[in-house]
Amino acid sequence: MSQQGKKAVDDPVALLLEDYKTMKDVPDELIGPEGNIRPVWSSLIAALSKMSHEEITLRKARGDQYLRDAGVFYRQYGTQDAAERDWPLSHMPVLIDEEEWNKISAGLSQRAELLEQVVADIYGDNQLVAKGHLPASLVANNPEWLRPLVGVKPHSDHFLHFVAFDIGRGPNGEWWVIGDRTQAPSGAGFALENRIATTRVYADHYARSNVFRLAGFFRTFRDALLALRENDDSRVGILTPGPMNDTYFEHAYIARYLGFMLLEGEDLAVRNGQLMVRTVAGLRPVSVLWRRLDAIWADPLELDESSRLGTAGLLGAVRSGNVTMVNALGTGILETRALMAFLPRICKALTGQPLAIPNIATWWCGQPKERQYVKENAQRMTIGNAFATRPLFDLDDVSAVAGTFNRDIKQTIESWIDHGADHLVGQEAVTLSTTPAFDGDKLVPRPMNLRVFLARTADGWQVMPGGFARIGPSSDSAALALQRGGSVADVWVVSKNPVPTETMLGAAKGPFTRQQPGVLPSRSADNLFWLGRYVERAEHTIRLLRAYHIRLAESGSELTPLLEYLGEFLESMDTEVAEGLPNSVINTLASASNAAGHVRDRFSVDGWLALDDLSKTVRGMSKTATPGDDMARAMSVLLRKLSGFSGLVHENMYRFTSWRFLSIGRSLERAMSLTNLLSAFTDATAPDGSLDMAIEVADSSMTHRRRYAVATNRDTVVDLLALDPLNPRAIFYQLNDISGHINFLPGADQNRQLTPLQRTILQAHTSLELHTPSSLDITALNSLSGELASLSDHLSAAYLR
Amino acid sequence: MLYDIKLKITYKYDNDADVSRHIVRLVPADLPGEQRLVAGTLTIRPKPDEWINRVDFFGNKNVELAFLNLHREITFSVQARIERMDIISFLDMSPRLSNLASEIAGYQGVGSWAPHHFVGPSLRVPIDKSTTEYARNIIKDDTSVLDAIKAIGSALYRDMRYDPEATTVETPMLEAFKCRHGVCQDFSHIMIACLRGIGIPAGYVSGFLRTIPPPGKTRLEGADAMHAWVRAWCGSNMGWIEFDPTNDMLTGTDHVVIARGRDYSDVAPIKGVMRTHGEHTSKQAVDVIPIKQ
Repeated sequence: MSQQGKKAVDDPVALLLEDYKTMKDVPDELIGPEGNIRPVWSSLIAALSKMSHEEITLRKARGDQYLRDAGVFYRQYGTQDAAERDWPLSHMPVLIDEEEWNKISAGLSQRAELLEQVVADIYGDNQLVAKGHLPASLVANNPEWLRPLVGVKPHSDHFLHFVAFDIGRGPNGEWWVIGDRTQAPSGAGFALENRIATTRVYADHYARSNVFRLAGFFRTFRDALLALRENDDSRVGILTPGPMNDTYFEHAYIARYLGFMLLEGEDLAVRNGQLMVRTVAGLRPVSVLWRRLDAIWADPLELDESSRLGTAGLLGAVRSGNVTMVNALGTGILETRALMAFLPRICKALTGQPLAIPNIATWWCGQPKERQYVKENAQRMTIGNAFATRPLFDLDDVSAVAGTFNRDIKQTIESWIDHGADHLVGQEAVTLSTTPAFDGDKLVPRPMNLRVFLARTADGWQVMPGGFARIGPSSDSAALALQRGGSVADVWVVSKNPVPTETMLGAAKGPFTRQQPGVLPSRSADNLFWLGRYVERAEHTIRLLRAYHIRLAESGSELTPLLEYLGEFLESMDTEVAEGLPNSVINTLASASNAAGHVRDRFSVDGWLALDDLSKTVRGMSKTATPGDDMARAMSVLLRKLSGFSGLVHENMYRFTSWRFLSIGRSLERAMSLTNLLSAFTDATAPDGSLDMAIEVADSSMTHRRRYAVATNRDTVVDLLALDPLNPRAIFYQLNDISGHINFLPGADQNRQLTPLQRTILQAHTSLELHTPSSLDITALNSLSGELASLSDHLSAAYLR
Repeated sequence: MLYDIKLKITYKYDNDADVSRHIVRLVPADLPGEQRLVAGTLTIRPKPDEWINRVDFFGNKNVELAFLNLHREITFSVQARIERMDIISFLDMSPRLSNLASEIAGYQGVGSWAPHHFVGPSLRVPIDKSTTEYARNIIKDDTSVLDAIKAIGSALYRDMRYDPEATTVETPMLEAFKCRHGVCQDFSHIMIACLRGIGIPAGYVSGFLRTIPPPGKTRLEGADAMHAWVRAWCGSNMGWIEFDPTNDMLTGTDHVVIARGRDYSDVAPIKGVMRTHGEHTSKQAVDVIPIKQ
């Protein structure tokens, strides 16, 4: 845009918008039809225009810093490793005027209500098909029509509780619905993160602008979910497909934010029609499940039998009316692209009203007239799978865009349509409005669409005042998918008047909502236990490796008897010493990351980042470190990073059941390592220097010097590393710790009989206590090792299954 | 015809399963006008901790069972007496193949046996060029739908080799078709793919078949087997008919129906999900004993 009269250099706004060239016949969010900045944007643009290059850079960096610190990522499919990608924030929010937003809200609420009626009919008596409003084939051949749920009425009386719509502004300036997201819409959590990051960028300005806050929407929805429960004892859970899903971060984030359990299918079980979660305290009822898992995977018994993500019997629980699914299983059928061809008529038939916000024009090729029309107008359409439920811009299937196939197809479009008519749909190609995005310091117009979220509450549908905007990487509307280089922006709904500030805590009016008492799912406990074990195992191996390579450097690469002995010991732990960094260390840390990945909702972001940093360092070293001094130094670096991680976790973790399982894992692994270390290096046949090395590996050289006035001998070493109750590097100390934790675990009531687990720990503890350094010989150490292993088994049997 | 049917299936697991859940479809169906269930009991050992009876989308009786304690073996037994009605030979009232599509499109309903459920691919029956071309080569003229069904069933009987060793319950349909061998399940899935490929709605039936011992021999105890065949739609006037491609015949009083669906996965006799590892083995014995009246 160029403003008349003033020279660009004199006018900071003109300078900022120097490259902002809106396109002919494409509406723009920032610049109105007369070429002026729309009022809703003026103060933000004015504020931006006064910032220097350095300030803008600094501000953007602040937003990015937040996202990095919070660990926001999404997973990209299709690449080799389904890697985690940084969150592509566009630092420029999309601004929408409150009045316009109210119209959008009303239109989308109407659509949500319409979809509720449609899905109730599709799973009910199918009047829409009987009366000819919907072709039978679109229902019967639809993979999202779940036959086992036909005729099953949802316990809450509603199929839909949380939906999203993708909308865009078309050439005439009006909004269009381009996608219905009813199965398990994602993005609400990302909208929150976008908001926080964007307010870091515009901290001062945001506080002064009348931008509607998002927290109230989430609070209302949380309360609505809590109200759907059977009673106060049953729980609300969020069902996730797990860490390999592209939006797992969001599932963990939302679970933390709302205070609900994050569950995987394996966490759940069905008993007599009641859905239960396996916890360390036994099975506990769950009566509301906000699912982020597509329905088809939800129950391997009645739906896709190959699913490893679901829960056998879940459909039975749904039929028994003991669980409310948000949204009901089967609602994915509403996302079917071809349904858009029929919704305008269905809306009139069911409500007597037209759609307040139309959806993009759609023609199903299963009807002769429509098929002909699509063939004749292929040039201005996107033609693709009628049953697709993916957003319009994800051209996953074979599609024809403006008359050209997106794959190499040896067929004319006409014959392609004739051969697969029932399975094809034509949709008018849409050019979407543009909105400002940064290109360096300058703003440029980019196409965008919005995802808007709606939640059902006692007072009807509530619309999140804001949302999630996708911004295209170029001026082409067709490239809006996040997976192909677009970015995302916050959406500000701006009022002319001051807006209420909202927080998740809500005002103290009326009855307060009690936080649900925490229960730890067994799978989470299992992952925490193993996280503790793997990290400790890695540390122990690294200490042994350091001891090896220090001695190797000192001996000038000659293999002394001690080096040979230590080398064999390491090999017995599957750790090869001949080359640089052994795979066992890399694998152990990878297992730790994997375990941590499953409990991301219970785990500090800093701890996660520290673990991530550790894995990166290890991968770097595996290529470079050479035996001897170099490896010894590398191992010291790793040890420092490991203690950084352990410190973060153990200093910051709330002292509750989660922390206890993590700690038991660490203590048990350490006790086992020490037992094996002593058994090998205090043996009479062990080479010279073994005792000093054992003390060094157990990081107790200084203590030994202070505690004993003599040089190391077998008795002092065994005393310090096995029997000392005050040395954290002694077996006895670790057994004390484990025993303390176990007494606080569910079911360990002091007034009842000892559990098998308590009995085992008591036995190990007592027998060790009665030992003297000389009686704790190799045989005794080996039997202790067996007791520790059975401790792990008992713990698994009692809590982790 | 009156039959006594005895069935016993035993599953053995290598390792203890701690929890398992199953859907069982083993008891013959009660089908007014076709087949009457005089008496039928399903017995399961060990005793299941949960037992839920229900009717599925296609009208089949399903029993859902759960075992909540460690187990290594499950035995399912059925004792049933059924009466199979004589099927009166019928007139071909089916439309020309070329008219079937518009009959299907005109059917406004998605009830259990609406043809729409049976035209597209299903879990175990993809619609493939190879099966469709095979069917097109057999049906050259615009015959009646019934004749087309019979012709395709007979052609498969002619071209396929019955071989119980060649395939398992998990062998993909197309693989069995490529090798032109298999058992009743393969024959039926292939025929369904052929029929759907040329636009004829087709489904899968699981049941029992009475075997007639060779002349002079007596019936062997436990030697009968569970069986499967095809159900196909012949237009609104004629409705559904059933054809057994493994024996090249329209089904008759020797065929006893258990369940009907789109393919095997809708009617699998026993389907289970369990928490265990390792393999399992199964054993079955079936008797279909005609009662003299």
